[in-house]
Amino acid sequence: MIFRAAPGGAHDVTPRGAQDSDLIARVRKGDVEGFNLLVSRWEKRVFNYLLRLTGNPDDSLDLSQDVFLKAYQNIRKLDDAARFGPWLFRIAHNEAYSRFRKYRPEVAAPESEASETSFFERQTAPGIAVDLALAVAGALDRLNPEQREAVVLKIYQGFKFDEMAEILDCPVSTVKSRLYTALDLLKTELAPSPIRGTR
Amino acid sequence: MNTHSCEKSDLVRDYAFDELAPAERKSLEQHLTGCSDCAAELDRLRLTTAVLRVIPDQEVPRRIAFVSDAPPARRWFVPNLGFASACVLAAAISFSAYRFTAFSNAAPAAPVAPVTQTAQLSQSQIEQAVTKAVSDAVAKTHADDVQMTDAALKAVESKYAQQQNQVMVAAQEYLDLQKKQLHTYNTLYNSDTRPGVSQ
Repeated sequence: MIFRAAPGGAHDVTPRGAQDSDLIARVRKGDVEGFNLLVSRWEKRVFNYLLRLTGNPDDSLDLSQDVFLKAYQNIRKLDDAARFGPWLFRIAHNEAYSRFRKYRPEVAAPESEASETSFFERQTAPGIAVDLALAVAGALDRLNPEQREAVVLKIYQGFKFDEMAEILDCPVSTVKSRLYTALDLLKTELAPSPIRGTR
Repeated sequence: MNTHSCEKSDLVRDYAFDELAPAERKSLEQHLTGCSDCAAELDRLRLTTAVLRVIPDQEVPRRIAFVSDAPPARRWFVPNLGFASACVLAAAISFSAYRFTAFSNAAPAAPVAPVTQTAQLSQSQIEQAVTKAVSDAVAKTHADDVQMTDAALKAVESKYAQQQNQVMVAAQEYLDLQKKQLHTYNTLYNSDTRPGVSQ
C-alpha cells in the first residue's frame, strides 16, 4: 500500500482517552486514519524539534513528512509502543542529520549560521521583551550542535535522560554531560541580564 | 561554569529536571533545607530554564496527513445506472449467442479455410509477397510525397502570382496618381501664366 503526504486531514479529533499504544495497534492493522491521529498528536513537537535543529521552516516541514512516512513504514519494528515518542524522535534526529550531510557535506551537523539571523533570534513570545529573547537566541546559537540538541530535547521537548540517550544513541552520562555543560554556559550568559530586567 | 562546591550538585540538577527516584528526591529535599549553596544553585537552574522558554513553539505551517492509494472496496448490489447498463449488455450478448447457436444448428456454416494453408506457401512465395508489399508501400508513399509536394508547390506559385498581381495593381495605381498630379501641376502652371483665370 502506498501513502502520500496530503494537505489537511483528520486533525484535532483525537479521542482524549485513546493512548498512543491504542493508535499504534490500529496502525499495525492497516488503519491509516489511526496513523493520522498519531501524526496530529506529534507533528507540532517533531516540527519544532526539527525547526530548532535546522532553523528552516520549509526544511523542517519536509523532514517532518519524511519522518512520519518512515515511522509508518517501520512501525512494526517498534518493540514497545510506550516508547513511541523517543523512537519517533530517533527517526527525526537521523533524518535531520542525514539530510544535512547530504546537502551540506562540508558541515558535520546542523549548525546555525552565525552571520545570519537564526531561528531562535526570529522567535519571540508575545509580551516578552525583545532584548531578552535576543539574548536567549544568541546564547543558544553559541552552543555547539550537540549541546543545543540536548537543550532542545530536555527544555523544549521534556524528554527524560534515558529517552534522550535513546534518541541520540549515546549513554545517559553523555547526555547529562552535554546538557549540564550547555546549561552552565547559558546560565553564565543569561543570568545577569534577566535578573536585572525582571527584578 | 558551575561554581557550586557541594558534593550533591549533580543531584540538584537531576532534581531540577525531576530525574531522581522518590527516595533520592526526598533525601535531597531535606538537604536543600540546610544547604544554601544547593538551594541557590537550584534557583539559578530554574531561572535559566524559565528564561530559555521565552522562545515558544511554532505552529506547523501545513498540517501533515497521509492518505491511502489503495483502490476502494468493491460495492455489490448497488442499484445505479452502471449496473443496469451491465445487465442490458449481458442480456444482449446472451441473446446474440443464442441466435448464433440456433442459426448454426439450422444451417452449418461453410467451412473456413484452415489456418494451416498458410504454412503450405513456399519461402520464395512469401518473400515475393513481402517484396511486392514493400514495393507497393514505397510506391504509394512516393506517390503521396509527390502529390503533397505538387500541391504545396502549386499553393506557393498561386500565392506568388497573387502577390505579383497585387504589386502590379499597386504600381498601376501609383502611376495613375503620378499622372494626375502631373496634370494638376500643368493646370496650375497654365493658370498662373494666364492672370484672371482660376481653376
